[in-house]
Amino acid sequence: MEQKGVTVWFTGLSGSGKTALALRLEEELRRRGLKVERLDGDIVRQGLTRDLGFSREDRDKNIERVTFVAKLLTRNGVAVLCSFISPYRAVRARSRQEIGHFVEVYCYAPLETLIERDVKGLYKKAIAGEIPNFTGISDPYEPPENPEVTIDSSRETIEESLGKVLRKLEELGYVPPATREETPYTADEEAQVEARLAALGYL
Amino acid sequence: MGFLDKLRHREKPRRVVLIGLDGTPYTFMQRLIAEGRAPNAARLVQQGSLLRMDSVWPWVSSVAWSTMMTGVNPARHGIFGFIDRDPASGKQFIPTARNMKAPTLWEVLSAAGKRVIVVNVPVTYPPRPVNGILVGCFLSPSLEKAVYPESFLPTLKSLGYIVDADPWKARQSKDLALQEVNAVLEARIRTLFHLFDNEEWDYLHLHIMETDRLHHFLWQQMEEGHPTYAPAFYDFYRRIDDMLGQLAAKLDDRTTLMWMADHGFCTVKKEVYVNRWLMDNGWLRLRTIPPDRQKGLDEVDPASVAYSLDPGRVFLRVRGREKDGCVAPGAEYEALRAEIAAAALELRDPDDGAPVFQAAFRREELYHGPYLEQAADLILAPYDGYDPKGPLYKETLTFKGDELVGMHTYDDAMLYIGGQTIPQTRFSVLNVMPTILSLMGVPPPPGLDGTSLV
Repeated sequence: MEQKGVTVWFTGLSGSGKTALALRLEEELRRRGLKVERLDGDIVRQGLTRDLGFSREDRDKNIERVTFVAKLLTRNGVAVLCSFISPYRAVRARSRQEIGHFVEVYCYAPLETLIERDVKGLYKKAIAGEIPNFTGISDPYEPPENPEVTIDSSRETIEESLGKVLRKLEELGYVPPATREETPYTADEEAQVEARLAALGYL
Repeated sequence: MGFLDKLRHREKPRRVVLIGLDGTPYTFMQRLIAEGRAPNAARLVQQGSLLRMDSVWPWVSSVAWSTMMTGVNPARHGIFGFIDRDPASGKQFIPTARNMKAPTLWEVLSAAGKRVIVVNVPVTYPPRPVNGILVGCFLSPSLEKAVYPESFLPTLKSLGYIVDADPWKARQSKDLALQEVNAVLEARIRTLFHLFDNEEWDYLHLHIMETDRLHHFLWQQMEEGHPTYAPAFYDFYRRIDDMLGQLAAKLDDRTTLMWMADHGFCTVKKEVYVNRWLMDNGWLRLRTIPPDRQKGLDEVDPASVAYSLDPGRVFLRVRGREKDGCVAPGAEYEALRAEIAAAALELRDPDDGAPVFQAAFRREELYHGPYLEQAADLILAPYDGYDPKGPLYKETLTFKGDELVGMHTYDDAMLYIGGQTIPQTRFSVLNVMPTILSLMGVPPPPGLDGTSLV
């Protein structure tokens, strides 16, 4: 089956698990032999969009450029994993429209949890007023109304979240479902199942 | 159907949620309802049809559910028991979904574009791909290997789902048996409601194996009104009744609730060791006395003419078919088969003289289809209470134990269909698949053995 391109768009506050989940998904899709590219906020801002800041206008431009790249890759059969805070609903809607094959993953965790976690130390700085326009603290975040997948990193393991994203991609036909092809039983397993049947009186 | 009706149906695809209650007898469910022990089922039965159903011979869950899910008889789906043998090598094996030759209900629904979720139905391991989710049955060696697609595994783990109660633990004591089945039941119910609420589905099927397990270990105590275990038995069913009530409350008008049992249950009067009986009559000889558990047919002496596998399946050692077979096909085969069948009907309980077998079916009387050759030559159908068992060697013909105290019955399986008024006729598990397809508006594949009840 030829790979059908798709952009998986991870949106959510800083520290909500977008990048971690995208990395796990990348690993899993590669394991299944699919072509994958990852576009991450922290990375593109060092290159593709290094000239941009965090004003509303610059944020829009940032997403606009990323969307353009994602579109090119998607139409060439690549699974593109984008992790960006991308706080504005209208901007995400534009990306969806532009790219077409678009799966939105809302990465959620309660703000208190994020502040407590604060992996990059950004929340502390933002609360102290050291970072202006910080989403969730001093800038708004508009949660998606109908994301294809919602994950809650304060309540699920990353494997559960990964499962949810994979299942949606499988359901939509972007990723072939994985199944185990090994023999039903190893010798040990067969002995174990036989023991179960024996306990029930079938042997 | 009028144009508007058609339009309405197209807008609202019909869904079915089915709960498998392994081995819950129709007559027992009726008694629970009559005694006020199943108030939700009582109410639901007023809004639908609760029907008595026949199982299949032999009435083990693997054969009965394979028949249910394919709508064809064993000689067409290829599953004849929990254990089978390769005639050429004499090696025994556990038939799995890989051995099932017919498409399943969920595969037919998947092909029609329906989304299905199937959990724990016997002989669904290893999971075959469907449009949806399939979690294999108690023949799965681990949860990891039981799940299709793999991506559903983390969710299932987070739900604390358990493949099966530990039967060895359950054999240690009745208390442990109860503890095991109650814990596994809770995990299944939790999983059911998670799936119901969080997944897309047109057909949702949860199989509860714990009814069967509870019955095997405690049916007699329930029947005898044991002061501790009978109430615990009814409590278990109260939990199932609660689940049915909770499920019914969630249904919309396009979803049909069904539940079914694949066979009935009764108290074991005695286990009957068919190989011992074959030995006593000179049809089976063993080279050595094998260890406790039967491992293949290596111990069968080449001079033997017959052997048996659970439950009551008798194979003749036919030349050209079986390893070192010595019975000539044709007249010799037929004469021997008739002799063993006649003797089976004559077999009496050594203690009270009661007959043990009510019928000795030649395989072609029960089955028809391309895999008939794999079937036993004779299928012995016991009277309720006599439980035919398959160990190669036992000292005695019969035995009454206190661990496995319940056994299956043929004519007391059960089918409930919500929202339908269906007259009681004689029918079997063969009719279930075409009925579900009809309820969901999906045409049946050609050549099913059963027909729809609706």
